[in-house]
Amino acid sequence: MAAIRNKLGAVIGAGLVLTMLAGCSGNSNSNGATPSGSAGSAAGASGTASAEAKPVEITWWNFPNYQALDGEVGKYEKQIIAAFNGKYPNIKVNLEMITFDGGPEKLNVAIATNSAPDVIYDAPGRIVDWGKKGLLAPLNDMVTDEVKSDISDAFWKQSSVGDQIYMYPINTAPFLMAVNKTVFEKIGALDLLPLDKPDRTWTLAEYEKALQAVKEKAPDVIPSGFFAKSQAGDQGTRAYIANLGVSRFLSEDNGKVAINTDNAAKALDWIVKGSKDGLVVSGAASLAAADVNDLFLQGKLAFTLNYSAVLKAQNVPNKKVPFEEVLLPFPTLDGSEPKLEPYVGGMAIFDNDSAEKVEAAKKLVDFVANDEVWGKKNIIQTGGLSVRNSVTGLYGDDSEYKYSELARKFITDPPTVADGYADIRTFWFPELQRALLGASTGKEALDAFAEKANKAIADAKAKAGK
Amino acid sequence: MSTAALHAPRRRKPWREWLASYLFLLPALGFFLLFVVYPMGKGIYISFFDYSLSDFDYVGLDNYRNLLRDDVFFKSMRNTLLLVLVTVPAVIAFSLFVAMSIYKMRAFGRSFFRAVFYLPAVSSVVSITVVWASIYHPNYGLLNYVTGLFGAEPVAWLGDTRTALLSIIAVLVTTSVGQPIILYVASLGNIPASYIEAAQIDRATPWVIFRKIIWPMLMPTNLYIIVITTINTFQCFAIIQLLTSGGPMYSTSTVMYGVYEQAFKLGHFGVASAMGVMLAIVIGIISFIQFKYFGSDVEY
Repeated sequence: MAAIRNKLGAVIGAGLVLTMLAGCSGNSNSNGATPSGSAGSAAGASGTASAEAKPVEITWWNFPNYQALDGEVGKYEKQIIAAFNGKYPNIKVNLEMITFDGGPEKLNVAIATNSAPDVIYDAPGRIVDWGKKGLLAPLNDMVTDEVKSDISDAFWKQSSVGDQIYMYPINTAPFLMAVNKTVFEKIGALDLLPLDKPDRTWTLAEYEKALQAVKEKAPDVIPSGFFAKSQAGDQGTRAYIANLGVSRFLSEDNGKVAINTDNAAKALDWIVKGSKDGLVVSGAASLAAADVNDLFLQGKLAFTLNYSAVLKAQNVPNKKVPFEEVLLPFPTLDGSEPKLEPYVGGMAIFDNDSAEKVEAAKKLVDFVANDEVWGKKNIIQTGGLSVRNSVTGLYGDDSEYKYSELARKFITDPPTVADGYADIRTFWFPELQRALLGASTGKEALDAFAEKANKAIADAKAKAGK
Repeated sequence: MSTAALHAPRRRKPWREWLASYLFLLPALGFFLLFVVYPMGKGIYISFFDYSLSDFDYVGLDNYRNLLRDDVFFKSMRNTLLLVLVTVPAVIAFSLFVAMSIYKMRAFGRSFFRAVFYLPAVSSVVSITVVWASIYHPNYGLLNYVTGLFGAEPVAWLGDTRTALLSIIAVLVTTSVGQPIILYVASLGNIPASYIEAAQIDRATPWVIFRKIIWPMLMPTNLYIIVITTINTFQCFAIIQLLTSGGPMYSTSTVMYGVYEQAFKLGHFGVASAMGVMLAIVIGIISFIQFKYFGSDVEY
């Protein structure tokens, strides 16, 4: 009896764990089918209301890319679909809203179980990865010469794998820092901010002086933020260290890590020292990007690292106290021009083995991006700028949007296009944590990161070359 | 009618009984096969493949070999075992202490305390974790405020490798004691008072009474609580995901969190399955030991 009980216990234990793996049980690789090529018609690019002979049903998964109407998530998207159906009554669009928190995991599971949506509005980080894995339909036939020349090459590079375009870029905004201007007004130190310069560029020494002023004159306010808990918002920490240390995150060809320079290491050491000296938030190893932005929105933090015109617009209802925030570029060691990673949003189409669905999805993408009425309206609803050079001045005289448009000249290639990017990211915060907790110097942490990330890039390249 | 005829076994139709038994069993058996046995088998099968969003290639034991060479996996396994080794005895000790303190109270007091301690068990883990996150906040947390009243320096409870796992254990213990307290109170009420009274007449000390009478009488409950708490602790995931994401420096990363990260964040389903299988083996071994050493004294 005891033996039976023992065996039963082992089986129950094993069963409970393996049951949790049930979600992993999907079919093998029918996702990996090569793109259909989607039969080169300039799908929807013309925008003509050609009557569809056969009704088609497509599914659109959307993150909250648009600001919610009347506080209702998805309400604006439903209006887009209603307008789209006015033009294409035979295409039924099923909308599913996903969140930034659980959405990426939900997408991974959907792809692995052959239930991916037809259309997704997302960013290059994931889209390019899916493109490399052959999960998406190429969109080259949608891009007219006029559109091609109106969008900068940097955006096309982020939207493509080789010659194939997998993301139709729509909205953008450079990722910047933000400062609580009201705090500086209160302490009479507004002159310490680089607001009198049109491009607002500044040096590390000037930045440090501003932090010292907050520390001395506004003791209830934490001078600056930093975070290293989880992956979300990691571009903020990347750009901060890269700019402070006048370094690139990856090499020009995105083939290897380039952040482990002496200057970037000094920048990281400066942040670690700053957290001990009260210039940088303490406990950064346990704070996420959202925690730091929460402190900023509560008026408890003077500078936050992870901001943009889009986030500024989205955060209006989240402010706990009234204050004026101003966008700033990251300071650099020598005052040279900053290099900013852009946020780019765009739409991609999953190749779900149905040419009809791909064609219908292209019409939706074209409508969202280029419709005469809805194209601009949609961009404004994101709170961002248009990727099109010809579309400017969407927000009138708003100074921060004007600055965001100016700051586009500082945009550089983000590392999202690198092979193995998803794996590279996982090594970044543990190494920052090591440095923040004093277990390594900045140089040791960045070198360790470079070693692991370079291996991930090499592995991904080798796998792609198979 | 003869006596022999009266006592002769009634003639039955064994095949009908057999069929009826299995028909009654069938729904439960179907669910068990579909939702337990099949995923188990599939999980083991997948662990031999490089299964990602776009690949499904047989790699033999590579996933296991890579895990055995992976420092992070070993750290996660060590953290998982540490979590179990500290949490399970802490839950047993705390819940038994509370149960012993309240089981002789009047009905109202007993119900009140049972409800108080059971509340975390019926609350959302996410809500509880959000509250704990604010308690542990390095800059504005309640815990640092309280320790500050005694002159202590602020501590990044979740951001320091020395305190992060202990902080997770504290949350885990508070969310795990509800059911054990209820069970212990019920079991203590079932111990015949005459046993204890007889021991008291013989001048047995409270410690001797506990060791020689109460503890042995609680063995079935102990075994159940130990096994359930062990399995729940092995599966602890939401608290870690929300409070630390496995950091800092993997000091709170567990195998279960690793499974989530590999499968759902990175899309490495083969590696995640191999991790799951290895965790299942460890749980199997520990369950075997628990049944071996705690199950021997149990009388049902």
